[in-house]
Amino acid sequence: MLKFLIRRLLQGILVVWGVITVMFILRAVSPGDPAVLMAGEGADDEIIQRVREAEGLDEPLLSQYLDYLGSILVGDFGFSWEARSEVTAIVIRRIPATIELAVAATVVALVIAVPLGVISGTRRNEPADYGATLFSLLGISTPNFWLGLMLILVLGVWYGIPYPSIGTSSFSTGSFVVEYPSSIGLGLFDFPTGRREIGFTAAVSAVLFEQSLSELGAWLRHITLPALTLGTYFTALITRLTRSGMIDELGKPYVTSMEAKGLPRILILYKHTLRNTMIPIITVIGLQIGTLAGGAVITETVFNWPGLGLRLIDALNDRDWPVIQGIVIFIAVGFVVINIVVDALYNYLDPQVSES
Amino acid sequence: MISDRVRSNLRQSFSESLLPKIGLGILVVIVVMTLFAPLLATHDPTDTGHFDPETGSEYPPLGHSYETEVAVDGEFTEVTIESNSTHVLGTNTVGQDVYSRLIYGARVSVIVGLSATLLALLIGVPIGLLAGYYGGRVDDGLMRVADTMLAFPALVLALALIGVFGERPVGIPDPIVMAGFAEGMPATIPIPGTVTIVGALVIWVWFARVARGEAMSLRNAEYVKAARSFGTSHAQILLKHILPNSMTPIIVLATIQVAVIILLEASLAYLGFSGTTLSWGYEIERGQDYLRRRPWVSIFPGIGIMLAVISVNLLGDWFRDALDPNVDQSERGA
Repeated sequence: MLKFLIRRLLQGILVVWGVITVMFILRAVSPGDPAVLMAGEGADDEIIQRVREAEGLDEPLLSQYLDYLGSILVGDFGFSWEARSEVTAIVIRRIPATIELAVAATVVALVIAVPLGVISGTRRNEPADYGATLFSLLGISTPNFWLGLMLILVLGVWYGIPYPSIGTSSFSTGSFVVEYPSSIGLGLFDFPTGRREIGFTAAVSAVLFEQSLSELGAWLRHITLPALTLGTYFTALITRLTRSGMIDELGKPYVTSMEAKGLPRILILYKHTLRNTMIPIITVIGLQIGTLAGGAVITETVFNWPGLGLRLIDALNDRDWPVIQGIVIFIAVGFVVINIVVDALYNYLDPQVSES
Repeated sequence: MISDRVRSNLRQSFSESLLPKIGLGILVVIVVMTLFAPLLATHDPTDTGHFDPETGSEYPPLGHSYETEVAVDGEFTEVTIESNSTHVLGTNTVGQDVYSRLIYGARVSVIVGLSATLLALLIGVPIGLLAGYYGGRVDDGLMRVADTMLAFPALVLALALIGVFGERPVGIPDPIVMAGFAEGMPATIPIPGTVTIVGALVIWVWFARVARGEAMSLRNAEYVKAARSFGTSHAQILLKHILPNSMTPIIVLATIQVAVIILLEASLAYLGFSGTTLSWGYEIERGQDYLRRRPWVSIFPGIGIMLAVISVNLLGDWFRDALDPNVDQSERGA
């Protein structure tokens, strides 16, 4: 087990090094003078020259590369001249929002998908199975930014459920046309903007130390629609996997022998077959963390959710390379770490795997 | 390349299940939309300014109306905007015909989806076959590259690559308009060129992995050993024996990846990094700020994306079930 983990860790370090290298090359081949780009819009020659010297951009590429690797090793991702801030500080500030969103989406997915998949797999070709199959087909096929907008439209605008979501503008085409509640939308409700006023830790500490539930309620209201938006693809995917896994497992001889022994069906399903089904599901969750991160970029944009994804889009629009590099490398490191954890879990669930 | 057994499996699962029929049906509609867009569209999709003449407001879809306030001599008066019979699905915020843009949007999705997948296949399959067949260092190198590529979320890598290369739309001339069958329609269609290449760069590694796995399992097959003992060259073995027998899982994967690319293109267009305004994703973004009053601008293109992806996914499921039960969900990528 330990040997296996060390090997995986070494592989992971290799991958992270590869990712850093790719990001360095991308910046190096991107058109334009990096000093001009880094200095940001409207910077004068003096500032550009200062940036060039401070960042060592007048040195050969190889020494820049080694410098970059060296500073990342000590946790320094460089300086964003555009934002006038350390990249590491920017990334750390944005991490909690993204992690909360990703975890909430995964929880939504598991809570809905596992029971749905079990029901679907044990009642093949019954209405419940058709419903679950249709749901998972729609779930993997719907673009999540559109899903997010439709949730805002249907739940927020049409039914007036006060979920915080993006601010919709009230003035549009001409200065003389003023918006009015229409026959298509019954929107009587003005959205607050999607800026997060409260994080999970603050909400929990309010519950613990001030016996106040309102912060937690506010946090839940903020995160529900984004979590549903991000979680739907996963829910659909895990439903499918659980369904096919259950079908496979239920056909195996051990199930027949347990039934013959008179074990209650519910015990067979949830204690034995589901446990065996979880192995491929956990692997897929690990592999799909990338999809989750990509989905988070989109979801954060739709809901103005102040996480890493939204910051990445801002950085791309500003061509702020230090921040782009920092965020992408951080996401890749997260992917590698989670997959090592998944492999360890996998090992725990199925000891035969560690040999291969 | 496609054996009789495969053909009969495909036919059997097609006739047994409803889902492949639905998938094929939607696909036919989308392909017709793609091929005959200039004949099906009612307006030039890029033509702006189709507003209600009195108020300058967008038309709602047929059968709908909405109220808005208009200033007349400094006083606000409430007016009802009725739909216009020439704009079936209404007009968008710059006064373009939503129906015509829906039709033309299929072209962007289909062309990008197919060409990026084909490009990825042409990059990934040879690399994967060579690595799997020869093994050793080439193979180790490939696997490390693959691990690195997979550590990037597809969308994030695509965004970074577009940050480098910029958005470059490629104008593709429209033969129907050139031949004079559709007056007033645009003569060229802008296809997001960078997105196509970037899409291929993001997914090629899945093809390489599958091809590698196939080549590894086939290189010790009896018939390959036999061919080698006759003195057949490695190149011939790869082309004549290993490639044809690896095609089934590659085709299944390619189908699924078309759906991945369609979603990727739509997402990039939504985020404003596609370089063409005819994309469904771009249109959804355009309608977003006016979602409350003019939801149709965003609703219809979203349905377009969803149907396109559903049809490809249904076909992918059909192929997988009929051809190769071993390609599992983890190959989905995205």
